[in-house]
Amino acid sequence: MFTKFLLPPAAARIGWWLSIPSLVLMFAVIHYDFHFEFLEFSRAGADQKFFDEDFLWTLKSNNFTDEIGTILLLSGLILISFARQPDEDERIAQIRLESLLWAVLINTLLIILCTILFYQILFLQVMAYNIATTLLLFVTRFHGILYFERRKSVSHDE
Amino acid sequence: MMNNIRVERAILNITQAELAERVGVSRQTIHAIENNKYVPSTILALKMAQVFNKPVEQIFRLESTD
Repeated sequence: MFTKFLLPPAAARIGWWLSIPSLVLMFAVIHYDFHFEFLEFSRAGADQKFFDEDFLWTLKSNNFTDEIGTILLLSGLILISFARQPDEDERIAQIRLESLLWAVLINTLLIILCTILFYQILFLQVMAYNIATTLLLFVTRFHGILYFERRKSVSHDE
Repeated sequence: MMNNIRVERAILNITQAELAERVGVSRQTIHAIENNKYVPSTILALKMAQVFNKPVEQIFRLESTD
């Protein structure tokens, strides 16, 4: 856990810079149909179709705002999640593992709940959120615990 | 598991932060161990025993629930 899979602590800062703007971007894409004109792609002579081809290499036209946003958001969240803490030790490694288990469990329970409650486009939106929710839950819990512990122990050093 | 790290620290007159630095962990970890919220690994327990210059059994004790 100390070296395997973990990135240098500086990776977290890059991660925050990547993921906060792309989280806002993806929110705008999902709920307000936002897209950048310069990411519009169309093969010569191709008409805009609702049901286009399935693959990148056969696609006729597409706006790549959501793809770029998803990749930036996931890359940012991975950098935050897998950055070693400056004071990483065995107990932080344990909090990391517990948070990962917690995030997967809560995320799965939420999906089951949403599968029962939501249908049609709303369910697709939930699935779009689901691309990032496991990592978001993990980052929130892991950094939340570390933040509160650090605050507590600063006032309790004896 | 019970421990008397707080007492041993008082004998050596060192703070949680100083002990943390000597055994190579964060201060929060020492805080959590002292308050019985975290059970250290064997390596960390042995390192602490080394700092206090005592056998590990004199610092850590099993409880009936362990």
